[in-house]
Amino acid sequence: MAESRLTNTELERVLRELGTRYAYPPTPNLALAVRRRIVARPVVPVRRVALWRDPRRLALAAAVVLVLTGAAALINPTTRDAIAHFFHVRGVIVSRVSPLPSLSPVTPLNLGRRTTMADAQSAVSFTIGVPTGLGAPDAVYVDNEVPGGEVALAYTPRPGIPLVKQTGLGVLITEFRGDLIPGFLSKEVGPSTTLQETSVNGDPGWWIAGEPHLVFVQVGGTDQQVSLRMAANTLIWEHAGVTYRIESSLSRTDAFRIAAGLP
Amino acid sequence: MEGRPLDDLALVERARTGDVNAYEALVQQYQQLAFRVAYQVTGDAADAEDAAQEAFVNAYYALGRFRPGAPFKPWLCRIVANEARNRRMAAHRRTALADRAQRAQASGEAAPSPEAAAEADEFRATLVETLGRLRDDDRLILAYRLFFDFSEADMAEALRVPKGTVKSRLSRALTRLRDALPADFQLSSGGTIGG
Repeated sequence: MAESRLTNTELERVLRELGTRYAYPPTPNLALAVRRRIVARPVVPVRRVALWRDPRRLALAAAVVLVLTGAAALINPTTRDAIAHFFHVRGVIVSRVSPLPSLSPVTPLNLGRRTTMADAQSAVSFTIGVPTGLGAPDAVYVDNEVPGGEVALAYTPRPGIPLVKQTGLGVLITEFRGDLIPGFLSKEVGPSTTLQETSVNGDPGWWIAGEPHLVFVQVGGTDQQVSLRMAANTLIWEHAGVTYRIESSLSRTDAFRIAAGLP
Repeated sequence: MEGRPLDDLALVERARTGDVNAYEALVQQYQQLAFRVAYQVTGDAADAEDAAQEAFVNAYYALGRFRPGAPFKPWLCRIVANEARNRRMAAHRRTALADRAQRAQASGEAAPSPEAAAEADEFRATLVETLGRLRDDDRLILAYRLFFDFSEADMAEALRVPKGTVKSRLSRALTRLRDALPADFQLSSGGTIGG
């Protein structure tokens, strides 16, 4: 029996036949739900790019989205996961999900290749910010598969900066061109995690704290690599097209103190 | 289930200016394709529905970045496939994909009882189960071409790969599918998958 393996042509033919008989579940009617959602967030699509460049308009739009999303959730108790997607900081999508999927607290960080600060600077298309309060990092990583490059500054634990078990570090700072890759970071936040809209050095941002949240990183289109891990307290914001992220177990006040030394 | 490209162009242009009715018409036209593409990735109907819905909403807000005159269908499918991957990753359902696809296949049709039909069912179930074990890009390229009848240009756009590489990618996906099939897998006696 094994000797008569299918040729590519035969395989194509049987797959075409399978395609006509494939037992898909019935297609749901998506049009109504999609209409409700885009009507509830009435941003004219072609103006969206301009919106990102105006922090005040952006904050207003975000507030409207928050109110409408909350109202929609109340109106429709059957709303499933990801009732709220917040496109507040370019490069980051934050979703509130319940319950949060479980994941091992310690997974590889996949920060890219370890290098020197000078090499990292030559490999990315933005000026790397080093927080003045922390000084030179203990390790620098760069990832060139990310459009514009991504740099990670790693600081080991020290007095006043406790160990973060999710990262094995004290503080982890990542920087990338959020304006080039709007969906680069996705964060899923469970009910026990605090999600606060905030302002960092005058730019819009998020403070995510409490229970660790899920973060996954995407690169490219369908050839994307996705890495997924749990993250600790995170302050994230965008300035001039660069998205900054500080992950630590520090308090909000201490995280802001570090952020003050960045753009 | 799909509109003509010219209709799409007009609808997309109207939607870009905020015409919700025009966008709803596009959703109506492509919701079956979007749902099925998502299902090829997630293997789960609820996840596929969520992914397709999210993709349509995200695509609406991304229309400002959509290249005027470009085909809407493959662009949408790329967003759908990405959303579907996100859903699956978040839910950690990768390992159950093949099982679910097989169960869905087994329960999806009320097959007649004759032996030939049973043989054809088993053949299809094996094929579906093996497809479910392929990596996403292989399963998607096979589905785009052989289930959804995409042109090479549309496949390249949907997969964001150079057009010149589509044929070789398809060929490699077929080879990997054949290698993943059981050694005794062969055409049923009628030379088709029957049913």
